[in-house]
Amino acid sequence: MRSPFHSEPEAFRFLLVLVLALIPIVLAAALGPAWLALVVLGVILGALAMRMAHLRMRKLRGLELPVKMAPPHLGSAAERRVLIVANDTLSEEALLNEVERLACAPSTRVLLLAPALISPGARLTGAVDGLLDQARVRLKRALDRVGHDLVVAGEISEADPLEAIEDTFATFAPDEVIVSTRWERAAGGLEPRLAGLVRERFAVPVRHLVFEPGSAVQEPDRETEARYRQESGTVAARRFGLKALAGVGILAAVLMSMAALVQSSEREEARAASRLAAEEAAALPPVAKVVDLSVIPEYKRGPEGEKHDAFTTTEFAVRVGQPQELRIDNTDSVPHSITAPAAGVNIVVMPGTHTYTLLVKQPGTFLWFCTFICDEWAMQHPGYMSGYITAS
Amino acid sequence: MLVEHPDEAAGLAIASGLRFAGYAVAVCPGPSGRGQCPLIGPAGCAPAHDADLVVCSLGYEHEVAREVLRELRTRYPSVPLLVEVPSDIDTGLRELLDGCHQLPAPASTEQIVAVVQSLSGQAAEEGPAGA
Repeated sequence: MRSPFHSEPEAFRFLLVLVLALIPIVLAAALGPAWLALVVLGVILGALAMRMAHLRMRKLRGLELPVKMAPPHLGSAAERRVLIVANDTLSEEALLNEVERLACAPSTRVLLLAPALISPGARLTGAVDGLLDQARVRLKRALDRVGHDLVVAGEISEADPLEAIEDTFATFAPDEVIVSTRWERAAGGLEPRLAGLVRERFAVPVRHLVFEPGSAVQEPDRETEARYRQESGTVAARRFGLKALAGVGILAAVLMSMAALVQSSEREEARAASRLAAEEAAALPPVAKVVDLSVIPEYKRGPEGEKHDAFTTTEFAVRVGQPQELRIDNTDSVPHSITAPAAGVNIVVMPGTHTYTLLVKQPGTFLWFCTFICDEWAMQHPGYMSGYITAS
Repeated sequence: MLVEHPDEAAGLAIASGLRFAGYAVAVCPGPSGRGQCPLIGPAGCAPAHDADLVVCSLGYEHEVAREVLRELRTRYPSVPLLVEVPSDIDTGLRELLDGCHQLPAPASTEQIVAVVQSLSGQAAEEGPAGA
């Protein structure tokens, strides 16, 4: 995978895409519910995955198109430019002899390209300096050993080997490419299939030279190259499949984690709300389970000195939504009532002792009065045939 | 320049000659190569579309090679074609080649490069955006 920071324009484009992707997520999180941000994130990640799959498929299709490219020759007509791509084989005497032989040929310029072979993991963590230093040291030793400073140059690259070669085509325009590998890929070495990939992509002669310690240089035959290609195709398909699977797994894990986070946060909010309600309820004054009271004619003396009908209790404290039982002994021969229209309360108190339910569904203090015509003065004065219900 | 040649080595030799003459090149083996030729289908061929000139050496005894030539002429009429032509051609091929630049087969790399240079020179004289 190409690093998004391969060049300044690419880094800028990556940053721009990142910001543009973050804007709708942040807006959704700020203006809507948490699940909306999750949906937007899912849509963006899905679109990103589809775009990457599309690019990958296009790349694979592009390789299926068997067109090789090459820039115009640089330098004089007599000049010949040879690009040698090597990494761990740079220390092989046989390769250095080959470089020396090329350097001695008239009008020949040689460029040694040493890709640092940085793994995606190292690229991600930024641990590339060690690999670059290794490649640099190998290249310096090779250049020191070969000499011919005027015609042999060296370059290291932190890009993927094929991309590094592509970059070199733009600057050095080689007339021939030599890819140097082992028979099988070794740790820190170039893949043998690289030669085939270069041959497929560039319209210049490509030689694949295999160097093994203590043996002479060899060139793989057609069957071996075909095997490398077949193996590389299988490996590439397997890697792509594994990467896609890992990507789907990571995406699913991220979405599930975020869903769990949102659910947990909602549950926590609900728990906090119920805890608050319980605390508020605990802070309220206690209420009796059953309140006993009576209605007695001419029970209480008024300020003018005359006796008036009255309830023995006229102030009721109740909990919102909780039924409060009232056991009322109406000693009069006619019915009376506890009526509070604002609280939706209308209890008709029949003669005799009966139990009634007082239920208020909203908080507040509500005036109640008796609606049955009895003692008119008492009906208009709280503390007699009128009073207050306080619901909390 | 786009070089269409079924033989890899011969295609590379022509490409090398053209490169040393100062041209950027693309080499395609045509329908004989790996994968389907995009000209035999709706996709079209980007290298042919972008080319200043196409050198066709596909060998026209096979119908599929003629199909490629027909598609190149139909889809990219402004791109000049230099066709390596066998000595005995039938009426159908003659009609197909009408208006193309022709070279008798087998043509050497030097001959091809010389004709390409001559055609490029003509195009340059005709206009800066010439083929």
